[in-house]
Amino acid sequence: MLKYSLRRLLHSLVTLFMVLTLVFLLMRLLPVEGYYGERADKLTPAQKEAILRKMGLLDPWYVQLRNFYLQLLRGDLGVSVIYRANVPVKEILAAKIPYSVAFGLGALVLSLVAGLAMGIHMAQNKGLFWDKFWTWYVVFINAVPGAVYLLFIQLYGTSITGLPMLFDRYNVRSWILPLVSMSLSGIAANAMWLRRFMVDELNKDYIRLARAKGMSSRAIMVKHVLRNAFVPLANYLPASILFTISGSIYVESLYSIPGMGGLLVTAISRQDNPLVQALVLIYSSLGILGLFLGDVLMAILDPRIRLEKQGGAR
Amino acid sequence: MMTAKEKEVIQAIEEQELFTFAQYDPEAAERTGYSDYSYWRSTIRVFLRNKTAVFLLILMTSLVAFTFIQPYLPGQKDPIKIHIDPNTGLQLRNHPPDKEFWFGTNSIGQDLWARLWSGTRTSLLIAIIVGIWEIVFGTFVGAIWGYVRPLEAFLTEAYNVISNIPTTIILMLIAYILRPSFQTMIIAMCATGWLGMARFVRNQIVIIRDREYNLASRCLGTPTGRIIVKNLLPYLVSVMVMRVALSIPGTIGWEVFLTYIGLGLPLNIPSLGNLLNEGRRVMMAPALRYQLFFPAVVLSVITVSFYVLGNAFADASDPRNHF
Amino acid sequence: MSEPILSARDVVIKFSLRGQTLTAVRGASLDLYEGESVAIVGESGSGKSVFTKSWIGMLDANGWVDSGSILFEGKDLAKFKTEEEWLTIRGKKIAMVFQDPMTALNPLRTIGSQIQETLELHQGLRGQEAKRRTIEILAQVGISEPEMRYRQYPHEFSGGMRQRVVIAIAIACNPRILICDEPTTSLDVTIQAQILELIRKLQKELKVTLVYITHDLGVVANVADRVAVMYAGEIIEYGTVEEIFYDPRHPYTWALLSSLPQLGIKGQPLYSIRGTPPNLFNEIRGDPFAPRNPQALKIDFVKSPPFFQVSPTHYAKTWLLDPRAPKVEPPEIVKAMRAKYERYAV
Repeated sequence: MLKYSLRRLLHSLVTLFMVLTLVFLLMRLLPVEGYYGERADKLTPAQKEAILRKMGLLDPWYVQLRNFYLQLLRGDLGVSVIYRANVPVKEILAAKIPYSVAFGLGALVLSLVAGLAMGIHMAQNKGLFWDKFWTWYVVFINAVPGAVYLLFIQLYGTSITGLPMLFDRYNVRSWILPLVSMSLSGIAANAMWLRRFMVDELNKDYIRLARAKGMSSRAIMVKHVLRNAFVPLANYLPASILFTISGSIYVESLYSIPGMGGLLVTAISRQDNPLVQALVLIYSSLGILGLFLGDVLMAILDPRIRLEKQGGAR
Repeated sequence: MMTAKEKEVIQAIEEQELFTFAQYDPEAAERTGYSDYSYWRSTIRVFLRNKTAVFLLILMTSLVAFTFIQPYLPGQKDPIKIHIDPNTGLQLRNHPPDKEFWFGTNSIGQDLWARLWSGTRTSLLIAIIVGIWEIVFGTFVGAIWGYVRPLEAFLTEAYNVISNIPTTIILMLIAYILRPSFQTMIIAMCATGWLGMARFVRNQIVIIRDREYNLASRCLGTPTGRIIVKNLLPYLVSVMVMRVALSIPGTIGWEVFLTYIGLGLPLNIPSLGNLLNEGRRVMMAPALRYQLFFPAVVLSVITVSFYVLGNAFADASDPRNHF
Repeated sequence: MSEPILSARDVVIKFSLRGQTLTAVRGASLDLYEGESVAIVGESGSGKSVFTKSWIGMLDANGWVDSGSILFEGKDLAKFKTEEEWLTIRGKKIAMVFQDPMTALNPLRTIGSQIQETLELHQGLRGQEAKRRTIEILAQVGISEPEMRYRQYPHEFSGGMRQRVVIAIAIACNPRILICDEPTTSLDVTIQAQILELIRKLQKELKVTLVYITHDLGVVANVADRVAVMYAGEIIEYGTVEEIFYDPRHPYTWALLSSLPQLGIKGQPLYSIRGTPPNLFNEIRGDPFAPRNPQALKIDFVKSPPFFQVSPTHYAKTWLLDPRAPKVEPPEIVKAMRAKYERYAV
């Protein structure tokens, strides 16, 4: 189990290295305007070149790549040029991350609790009314872009309930709508996957044996189906962070939450290259971390993986 | 009239006849377990049984047909023409829906009805181009991935790297690097969409290579080409249909998202994303919300319909559902 | 003979499939007597599994018992509808062992917990007592080091060992009837013999009534007292093992025996039955085996034969036993078998 996790960790690090390099290469393609700061129009070509030279962007690519990794190892993410000129990116992020983490975790818990309840309810009523009812919810959320329904939630969620339209960290009520908005797609995804995994388990041979044993459907659901369906779900859960990023970017900017997602939108629209680069690095690393955690979680839950390297009879 | 006696005699003769040997026909013996199963017939039958899907199929076929013939219908307006109020000589801004402007005008006096269909056309066009690219390039990469063994490890690693970066981020980066335009939008979405298809094709090829029924088929001397045509192609074709159907809501969703963060199509090209964004800007005034509603409703109907159609077709094309 | 403990009469089982109705069992009847061992033999698709599954309410969701009765302990199982009713029978009175032991156990739970579950369910044992009993049963089905094995997971067991565990689960609450549905088909030949021997041994020890389903006539002689041959959803011949092997009467039984490699005559090609069993979606007229039977009579295509008595324990459903029928000689292999038997018997 430990050995498996270490091997998996090593693989993740290799992937991380490749992803970072790829991101670095893409970053060299960024429009150079994004490095000049506010006065881009007034700069002479010589001044522009001086700025690029100072940032090391005119060095040969291998020198740039080396510097890029040296900076990363030192934990240096560069300096913002427009968003807050000459302020280290790290400092900007330090103020933003707590909000994103708070909302991210809150939405994760909410989508887990509601999504699993919905998924179980669907699997138990497979093919019946409630299954179809919740399936329509899942279909709607999966098909319609978040930009559409989240907008209407903001519009009518505030006018009907009187909840605030903009985020205010000291007002608990202003947390409700963004949290719910962020969870909607997670709830749909969790419900859909859990239902699918449970239905998969239901079709397996060991369920037939459990039935032949004389167990009631309810007991089979709890003791066999649900328990086994949790393994693939646990594998997929952390990786689901990947899919909720666009939702969180959207919700943060809709409600003016001072988090990383809103920051990314601002950084792109204002062409602040160092800031974009730092955020892309963080989001990409999050994706890899999610997949890694998913595999480790599955190894903990599934004895076939857990015992793989301990000489079990196979 | 036959007497009872005669009847008995005839019956006895018939019975005797019945207890003679019948003609044995080996052909008939082979036919005893004949099954008239046909993959496509079953797929279509299962699909047609899904009433919602059939309804949506008809709805979408007519809607797509309508978007393409709409500009040629009489009395249609130009989607980018700015209408002038004859009384004031100013732009006919935010004119509410009436007989002349069916869906009203937007904040600079353009006809929303015309813009809506023009935008739907643009968005569907992008979605279809991306969808076709997805299956063509995806199948191509998947085939190489599965067949060319020396490249297998490399492609697997490349897949891992790309699929580890959130799609959102890749799309944003490409759109940011290339500057917003119609081509950018298509390139950005083509860059990520093929991944799923490639992996699917690769898995299918590995199955073709290693599954026992295909191994058995090969041992019996079936050429690889025939195995591919008989065992892979029917399923692959249905997956392609499903992918194109599902890529439509996906592509429209990304278009809307990119537009929202300012990386969408230029404003002079109407698209569902642009229309929605225009509507969003005026949504705080209840009287102008029609500018948000119309695009939102059309967009939701299209995305939900294609999503349901894709899934219904996926279910129908799965042989496990063919009973 | 005494009263049967289970009596299935004219059972018809239908499935709805691809919008059509398939009749998998077409009026099968069978009596089971206390402590005996009956083998049901037939090709795949003959309905032998489906027939027995209906005794514990384990038909797939699209299948149902259309008519007939299954009397057991004074109740008609064919009338059972709810899960509550079946829970009084399933696993408790009638237990079943399935074909593929590799997938029959929950891969994520220990062997011990999966056996113990049955004990807790039907015998109300709890905690240490249940555990102790589980270990006893593990030992009883021939698993060495049961204490250690108790804590292991299915993937740590070989196929044969897993089948022992499945059997352990089936016998855990002393059922009156044990149905083994092709329990050795997916196992290695050497393991097959061990499992057969185990089933035989347990049947003697527990005095359970055994129903052994197989497509392999070769194993039948080792395990059964009586044999019922099934074809196209009907039982077409039944009798004691000796009667079926040495004095078979139905052309299908002849064909089955002739195609046994063990009985083949050296230098002659092995017999094989042409064609496949009939498509059960279609209505079958007359004797379902007729189209594949080179010696079929004209009446076989018109009218279904009744059961003709051969001996008090031996019945066959073929027009060949009708006094009006022409005399048909059984194939060489069957005659050779009979001759061999008569030599030893006399």
